[in-house]
Amino acid sequence: MDTKQVPESLQRIEVQIPDRPLWRIRAGLLWESFKSNWKLFKRNRVGLVGLVVIILFAILGLAQPILFATGVWDAKIYDVRTGNDTRVRIAEMTVVANVDEVIDPTSQIDRRRLIAEGENVQVGDVIQRELKHPWPPDRHHLLGTDPNGSDILSQLMYGARAAFGLGLLAAFVTVFIATTVGSVAAYFGGWVDSFFMRFADLLLMLPILAVLIVASSFGRFKLWHLAIFLGLLGGFGGTAIVLKSQALSVKVKPFIDAARVAGGNNWRIVTAHLIPNVMPLSFLYVMFSVTGAISSEAVLSFLGLLNIQMSWGLMINKTQSAGYLLNPATWWLIVPAGLAVTLLAGAFYLAGRGMDEIINPRLRNR
Amino acid sequence: MSGYHANAFTKGSPLGRYVIKRFVQMVVLFLVFFALSWIALQAIPGNSIEQQLRLNPNLPPEAITQALARRGLDKPPLEQFWLYTKAFFTGDLGVSWSRYPQPVSKLIAERLPRTVMLFSVALLFQYLIGFQAGKYLAWRRNKRGEIAITIAGVSLFTVFYPWFGLMMILLFAVKLGWVPTNGFIVEATWRGAPVSANHVMVIMFFSLLAVTAFIGLTSWASSRLDQPNRRRLVKIGAWVVGLGGFWLFWATNQYLVYAKDVAVHLVLPVSVLTMVGFAGVMLITRTSMLETMKEDFVTTARAKGLSEAMVRDRHAARTALLPVSTSLVLAVATVIDGGIITESIFGWPGMGQLLLASVVSEDIPVALAAFSFTGILALLGHFAADILYGVLDPRIRVTSQG
Amino acid sequence: MTISNEVSNDAPILDVRNVVMHYRTEKGDVSAIENVSFSLKSGESFGLVGESGCGKTSMAMALLQLQAENATFKGGEIVLNGEDMLKMNPAEVRSHRWSDISMVFQGAMNAWNPVHRVGAQIKEAMDLHIRPQLSHTESRERIASLFEMVGLDPEMMDRYPHEFSGGMRQRAIIAMALSCDPQIIIADEPTTALDVIVQDQILTELKKIQHDLGMSIIYISHDIAVIAEVTDRMGVMYAGKMVETGPTIEVFHNPKHPYAFLLLSSTPSITGPRRKLAPLEGEPPNLLDPPPGCRFHPRCPFVTDQCRTEEPPLAEIGGGHRVACWNWESVPPLSEGLRK
Repeated sequence: MDTKQVPESLQRIEVQIPDRPLWRIRAGLLWESFKSNWKLFKRNRVGLVGLVVIILFAILGLAQPILFATGVWDAKIYDVRTGNDTRVRIAEMTVVANVDEVIDPTSQIDRRRLIAEGENVQVGDVIQRELKHPWPPDRHHLLGTDPNGSDILSQLMYGARAAFGLGLLAAFVTVFIATTVGSVAAYFGGWVDSFFMRFADLLLMLPILAVLIVASSFGRFKLWHLAIFLGLLGGFGGTAIVLKSQALSVKVKPFIDAARVAGGNNWRIVTAHLIPNVMPLSFLYVMFSVTGAISSEAVLSFLGLLNIQMSWGLMINKTQSAGYLLNPATWWLIVPAGLAVTLLAGAFYLAGRGMDEIINPRLRNR
Repeated sequence: MSGYHANAFTKGSPLGRYVIKRFVQMVVLFLVFFALSWIALQAIPGNSIEQQLRLNPNLPPEAITQALARRGLDKPPLEQFWLYTKAFFTGDLGVSWSRYPQPVSKLIAERLPRTVMLFSVALLFQYLIGFQAGKYLAWRRNKRGEIAITIAGVSLFTVFYPWFGLMMILLFAVKLGWVPTNGFIVEATWRGAPVSANHVMVIMFFSLLAVTAFIGLTSWASSRLDQPNRRRLVKIGAWVVGLGGFWLFWATNQYLVYAKDVAVHLVLPVSVLTMVGFAGVMLITRTSMLETMKEDFVTTARAKGLSEAMVRDRHAARTALLPVSTSLVLAVATVIDGGIITESIFGWPGMGQLLLASVVSEDIPVALAAFSFTGILALLGHFAADILYGVLDPRIRVTSQG
Repeated sequence: MTISNEVSNDAPILDVRNVVMHYRTEKGDVSAIENVSFSLKSGESFGLVGESGCGKTSMAMALLQLQAENATFKGGEIVLNGEDMLKMNPAEVRSHRWSDISMVFQGAMNAWNPVHRVGAQIKEAMDLHIRPQLSHTESRERIASLFEMVGLDPEMMDRYPHEFSGGMRQRAIIAMALSCDPQIIIADEPTTALDVIVQDQILTELKKIQHDLGMSIIYISHDIAVIAEVTDRMGVMYAGKMVETGPTIEVFHNPKHPYAFLLLSSTPSITGPRRKLAPLEGEPPNLLDPPPGCRFHPRCPFVTDQCRTEEPPLAEIGGGHRVACWNWESVPPLSEGLRK
């Protein structure tokens, strides 16, 4: 072959260089990789289940303001805290079978009415009961009302928004810090590495729940305080350790050496070469961090330690303080909220696992 | 995590030097942790003890000053810290504020056995069931049932734990009445009892430990036997002798009634902890098995004509055991923190409840002691995980010995 | 190397007849092995050569019934000592593995389980297949003598795989392959990961052992020089098909399939006559949608219209030399090279 001539294959490449701007090429590449990853993700049904649940909760959270805005829901009745359905609900006529049940304060019968009727209720009397809150689910209140007369479904929808906001904010703070710390620690090594890793060890030593309780006693936590706090704990803690070991495995790859030989300075190598290659795993840890943040928030508001409007944990907390906690008859006060925390936290975890099977080639199917 | 642990070992330093280095690091880390905890707890706004004392109108101001002085609270913060640290490291943990004048060490000695009892049983079940379940799940990859089990497992793993605990109480204690709703003993049974509940719990713990160790060690030793038949015989024998011995020990024991009372109270918390915890172990096992099953040595094992069960148990699962054992050690290290919720829900008066109560009531001596205890446990746990990783993986073991 | 086995008229111990194996994937069926036949006599060594992805490793795995889960056999027989392995149940297949056919894996690095001692991993196979005859000490003695045979210190059997060098691991793998006295050893790229000197040592070792113990070996390699050095007969595979087979000397010196011809003329020869190296252009076909007719026709310099539509049969051209090509007669002798 004549070496002086440009080989035909190379000429072909030259012709193919398009005059499109660079960003469009990059966007195109990104779109391609998204499409191929999406195809892989779609195959993993477990991840898909997670994604579907996440989307359902997102719709639920976004629907509430729309319902208020369009006037389908009246804020006086459906507001998560101040809403109170004062309309009177009369139950069917019943025969008193058990006087104790009538006098039981947690039963559905309004005692004031009993007093008005005279207290001498006897077995066999026919009484008409006026239903007291909490009302069981019906067509006005699909999930019933709480002891104050607020709508449970509305609270659940608000809680979804709170959970998304808190979870995503905490997760992004976590992952932003952890990716930076992990990459820097892995790239520079030495005392930088030691410092950050020992700091991570220190955070892992903490009894997290107790620390959150201590922290919340400095003034009651708002939701975004908690998100940032959880983000800091996770970002400098366990997630940093995981992402650092990933960054270490990237650091020894030949292209990092190549970049160094080509004269790239340290920061450029970290930001342009190391971090982009740690990113897929970072993205995965966003998912896992959301799970952790949602659970932590639920526990804290369950213990009544947060200063928030409404959340799923708080719904259970209020049920407890109203004395309905261990009462199977008022299941709608406790089941939907607990289920929602479980489902959404689980959905993010499932979606993360689905992504894990794309990112981690060792888990891929043959 | 594995990269992190492996990294610590492959520096090429001899094991002894490595242990010393780690030990020094641990001491430094603990001192920092100790100081930070002290600062954080002191910084909580409002001096609870002073407020409490001032609520009592009958106390003259001098008495209050005297009470504060007796607790060392009249001195400047730095001196307080110095005095407290000195006392702490000479073994004097101080006196509880909210349960004045009970010494903190006595409170911990009373609470600790209960937490150990509850969580050792729960962790035993979690890991036994979780590892087996994960093994089968990985082996059944892409077969029917895998998705259902995975989703069920993840739901249990990420379940809103306090809520789940309450639901279980509602179902099994309130509705069905099979088990007590909360607490760890029935007071009436123990009136005039010749022993303390803690003493019985300690006996229960060690008898359980002995049986588990016996069965575990014998099964492990049996895997060294060559003939499959004899192997199976020894394994079954170990179970029979172990469980039989356990039964015999308790059947003839004078404290049986009391042990039974404790055991009945253990059922629900242990079951709930197992249900929630086994799923995590199962998922770790599954991931690590899936990674192992891609290795060439699994193909080698099949090529040798081993049956699928032998390939799974001796090759895939044995190698996948590494991250699972590490996670067990780390789980032990976080028992007190994890115990906070469990113990509050089931009314189990252990370390977790002590920690929660002390933080909420700003009982600083108790809180500091509980924090330190948690920190030490976590440090030792991480250290043990590193060492265990080296013991289980010969590749790391030898490099560390130089 | 003798080719006396070639003329002995023993029945073959392994007879692969018209095996067709496909991998089922989402994009469709990949035809990995298409109508491949060859046979192996006792004491004989047979070589399979071809580019990566041509189906030679799939073939090796199929012989042990270790094919991937998505593989399906569409036809053919793998007859081992008169029994068709494709018709056996899993337990029967397992009883034949290692005791009749063992394997020297490529990349010995990962073929050992890192958490078990090397000796224990060998003993595991022996316990399964020849245990009743051997006590614990006897098996250890056997492993020791196997280690000596492959040139390893017998004390090494109580060490872990990571304490072995690459060449030592490969020797230990050979020892393990020999442990149950198999009739056939499959050596899948036995030397690919090793440096040249160790490669040569290992090949010599294998040849010597075969000579001493009289077993059959199937060598699988992309390196035609390795195959030429150690085998009696060989087959050339291309895109899942056997395109040429025959006595190694015959195929090596007088290739008649254009693919074998190009493969050999692109290999420099130190001992043979000087020749101009001809490049093999193009890429192997996509097996999801193999080209019609002869699978080599898009890359073939001798292509005719017939090649594009009709599949050439593997036909005898004399002396046990068989070629699947319509135009084998126009392929020039190797020494003349390809005139462009």
